Order: sequence, then C-alpha cells, then structure tokens
Amino acid sequence: MRIQVRRTGGFAGIERRAQVDTSGRPDAHEWHALAERAVSAGRGARPTGVPDGFSYELTVDGKTVYCADPRLTEEQRKLISRVLKEGA
Amino acid sequence: MTTNGGFEPVFCTIIPPHVLDKVAQADDPVLAGPARRTLEHDAYQRTHRRLTTVLGAPAVAASLADEKPLRSIYDAEHRQSLPGTLVRSEGSDPGQDATVNRAYAGLGATFDLFLKVYGRNSINGEGLPLDATVHFDEDYGNAFWNGEQMVFGDGDGEIFLDFTLPIDVIGHELTHGVTQYTANLTYFGQPGALNESMSDVFGSLIKQYSLGQSADQADWLIGAGLLAPRVTGVALRSMKAPGTAYDDDVLGKDPQPATMDDYVRTGRDNGGVHINSGIPNHAFYLAATTLGGSAWEKAGQIWYDVLTGGELYAQASFADFARLTVAAARDRFNDGEELQAVLKAWEQVGVPTR
Repeated sequence: MRIQVRRTGGFAGIERRAQVDTSGRPDAHEWHALAERAVSAGRGARPTGVPDGFSYELTVDGKTVYCADPRLTEEQRKLISRVLKEGA
Repeated sequence: MTTNGGFEPVFCTIIPPHVLDKVAQADDPVLAGPARRTLEHDAYQRTHRRLTTVLGAPAVAASLADEKPLRSIYDAEHRQSLPGTLVRSEGSDPGQDATVNRAYAGLGATFDLFLKVYGRNSINGEGLPLDATVHFDEDYGNAFWNGEQMVFGDGDGEIFLDFTLPIDVIGHELTHGVTQYTANLTYFGQPGALNESMSDVFGSLIKQYSLGQSADQADWLIGAGLLAPRVTGVALRSMKAPGTAYDDDVLGKDPQPATMDDYVRTGRDNGGVHINSGIPNHAFYLAATTLGGSAWEKAGQIWYDVLTGGELYAQASFADFARLTVAAARDRFNDGEELQAVLKAWEQVGVPTR
C-alpha cells in the first residue's frame, strides 16, 4: 500500500509532501488500518478550512481524499504526522 | 502578461450561500457554528452597508479611548482540543511561560493599534473578548484563526520556532478576525490574497506601532525570528521585496511575486492566497514609504477605511480594492500627496485603478 500526504497552505504557505510504501514493512498491518480509517473520514472535495489553516490531500493506492485543520479526525492527524515524519 | 486575464483567479470555487446554508444546518456544532456565523455576518454586513449609505457612519463614542482589551490565554498542552486550559486572564500578572506572556502582550498590542489609531474597539468593533490558545499540538509549525480565536503552535524547532515569537504573526491572526467581521473577503484566489494581505499589512503596522518605528525604519518583514537557525532566510514574507524572504534547501524559495507580471496561477494554497498577497503587500509598502513618517497614519488609515468602509465586497479583486483605496485617499486627504502615492503604488505593481 502506498500512502501519500500533501500538505498545503498554513501561515507560511509552504507545501510539504511525503509518502510511505508499506510493502515489506513489519508494521504494514497497522498502517493499513490507520490509512483506511483516515481515508473513510475524508472528503471528496477540498474543504475551505480556516484562514492560515493547513489543507491536506491523502492518497492511498491512487484514491485521494481531502481534509483541513482544525477539523481532522484522530486517525487523520495521526496518519498525517506519521507520514510527514517517517515518509520519504 | 495578459491585461485582463491576470486579475481573475483560475479556480473560482467560492462557497455559494446554499452550501453554507446546508453546513449551517449540520448536526456537528463545530461545523455548523462557523457557517451560521458567516451567514449572520453576511446579512449583518449587507444591512450595515445599506444603513451606512443612508445614515452615514456613526460618530465615534467619546468614551472609546477608555476601552480595555479582554484577553484570555489558554494552553492546549500539546493536544488538539480547543480552547484548552485557561492559564492567563485579563489583568493577571505574567507567569513563567514566555509563550503565554508573548501571546498576551501581542493581543494587547493589536488591540491598542486598532483602538488608539483607528477607533475600533476590538476586532468586531464592539469589544469582543480576545482568546488565544498556545502550545497547540506537538511540533506544530503553524498558527491560524479558527473563526473565533487564535491558535499558535510551538513549531518543530527544525524549520519553525514558536509562532508567538514575532508580534506581527499575532497581529496577522487577529486581523483575520477584523476582516471576518468587516469585508469578510472570501479565502480563495484574489479576494483570499487580499484577505492575507490585510493581515500582513496590519500585522506589520502593529509591530511598527509597538516599536515606534517610522516607515523607513521598519523591516517590512512578516515572521522575522520565526525561522529556525539552520534555515537560510530572514522571515516568511517581505513586503519590501516579495520573493526574497528565504531561499533554503528544505523550504525552497520564497514564491511571492511583487507585481502582476509574476502573478501565480494555482489551485493550491486556496488559489495562492499566501503567494499573490505579495502584490498588494508591495503596493502598501510603496505607498507607505513614499509618504514616510508613521505608516499607520496615512497609508494604514486609507487601507483601514477600505477594509471597514462597507464598499469592499467579499469577492473583490485586486483592481476593485485598488480603486477603493484611491477613493478613500481622496475622501480622507483630498487631492494631495496621499492620493498620488496610492495611484503610483498600484501603477508600480501593475494593478489598474480605473
């Protein structure tokens, strides 16, 4: 499973992106569960968000959903921070 | 550049009122609340504009100078729930946490500029309490206005430091509140870039006012002191020289244009709201430095008059805004150097005023 995160907006307006390929990872099962829950709570269109809030695109195996601060689910926030931290 | 094409956002996905209506009826109060307030503000603004036209602007109350801010600072303790724990309220002494104290002082400085210079009692003009949450989330490299309060992260320490460090960042977030209660500029494309520019303009003025700096003494930077030492850059944005604030291996290069020739068409960042704001930012800088002295007195007054005057509509383009600044300069200062400085500033950044 390929999990991609793109973060845009924010006070700085600087884009960040990262991805994790879970194949062969010992914790792949955990990633899959987290990614599925995060994506199921996402939206099909980009939400407006709030001034200076981050806006996110989550792409899991080619399917993209959107979410924005400060309205993230716990799973979305966890997935986003893990991918941006551990991903390439 | 194409003469007309540059002035319209490419992806014009402004939220239509029917969508807001629907969101306002949502079961989730966190979703429904802001949408309902937006609708209420829209209705209020329309009525207010009509009344102002008919009756004229209300006289500033004589007792206004005695008004005081009503500040509350909350600590999210690195979690994401808002507002968090109340850690400092109005009138209480500074505590041990420098972040809390900076937020408190920054809210006070912002309140002071709007009250003492422009006669505005807090961000809604009616003494709205000012709430801010600090230490939001872990390693959170951002600050935002959620429609009701300011939220500040501590930064990750690698790229960004604590977002309460620059006073102009605090002023920037609060000015989003002022804009929400006045022109309510749509946060997308050109009106979104104007919304961002208002926050940078008044954020910078709050810094200049609190330091007692004249236009030629000011650094005209947004977010100076926010970048971690390893980042190659001086700030996040430069109103004096948009596009030159940073150039770094990790962050990339400051993407801001200074003129319409370099206007960036993009769907990201809400249609480039933090990118194309460089153009109106630079126009303000040019007008303010041409006039000299305290930037908040003349250029700032003209910009404030437009933001709060009731004629600036939510979907305004750069050209709409520029035309209104010309009219405001004439209304307030007649056909003097102020008018010429404003006309020349917009001409230099390539935004038409007629």
